Amino acid sequence: MNLYSFVIENKEILEAVYSLIIGLICAVIVSKTDKFFRLSLHQGIRYFRNSFLFFGLAFLARYIFGLSLGLSLTYAFVVQIAFEYFLVMAGFFLLYSLIWKKFESPKDKYFSSLFNTKVAIFHFMALLIAAGDSLWNDYNFMFISQIIIFSYASVLSCINYRNDAGKHQFPKFYFLAMLSGLCAWILNFLAEAYFEWNKWILINIGIINIIFFLLFLYGIIRVIKTK
Amino acid sequence: MTSKKRERLDVIRDILQTIRQNREIKPTRLLYASNLSPQMFKEYINELISKKFISLDIDKEDKKTFSLTKKGQDFLQEYKVIENFIENFGL
Repeated sequence: MNLYSFVIENKEILEAVYSLIIGLICAVIVSKTDKFFRLSLHQGIRYFRNSFLFFGLAFLARYIFGLSLGLSLTYAFVVQIAFEYFLVMAGFFLLYSLIWKKFESPKDKYFSSLFNTKVAIFHFMALLIAAGDSLWNDYNFMFISQIIIFSYASVLSCINYRNDAGKHQFPKFYFLAMLSGLCAWILNFLAEAYFEWNKWILINIGIINIIFFLLFLYGIIRVIKTK
Repeated sequence: MTSKKRERLDVIRDILQTIRQNREIKPTRLLYASNLSPQMFKEYINELISKKFISLDIDKEDKKTFSLTKKGQDFLQEYKVIENFIENFGL
């Protein structure tokens, strides 16, 4: 039995384990970046932390979804909407952590970075996207929105990498992480639109997603080690 | 915008380092050492007190001095890491 056959035969349990692993990686990233934020009160760190908080919530919801597939269709439906909403919010926050300086002055003070007038538009759009997909019974709104977000984030991280000119180690990995994220969303879209959720493509998307999260974890650990 | 934000963190580091070097320091001496305008100095000091990075101590003769708190010491230790994080992640 090769690896792909093994994965396909044990799909449900492996999906739950996969979601749990990503959830744990996100928990580590959130806890480390939360410490940085509490010390510096830097808004960019705050939005980056929020992004991985939502990624973590999304995969936790998916983990629960994976374990409770047989329980109730309504329950599975609600968890699926939550998964999509959290994932879209995570994408918005990740992009916003790169561009927040264009929209906020250092003097702007928000009591909460999860619920404020600027972030309200993210919640509204994420709810709209999740609701739209549930109405049409597909994932097109989410896939297209995330492809746009990750394309923009990839361009920004490429500019950051070029401007950094080798002074730091991580910008090239950050750019690679963004490209892998973009690649995963494009493959997701193609798998849904043209390949009827081909299992081989889905396995590769899973691998790319793990690379995406591991790259960020690697970056955080590397930065902490500079101490 | 980036340099503005970077400068802000640098100013905070410089103020905290000055206080740490002196253990306790009078407001006027800290103002000179910080190289800020009185208005900006006041803003930074208020922020640092509200973040509990420094404390304002007043003795019986009503003399005021600033000293570094545990949180302020932690910040100085973590500053390099935080600076690295912001630069590496393009935040």
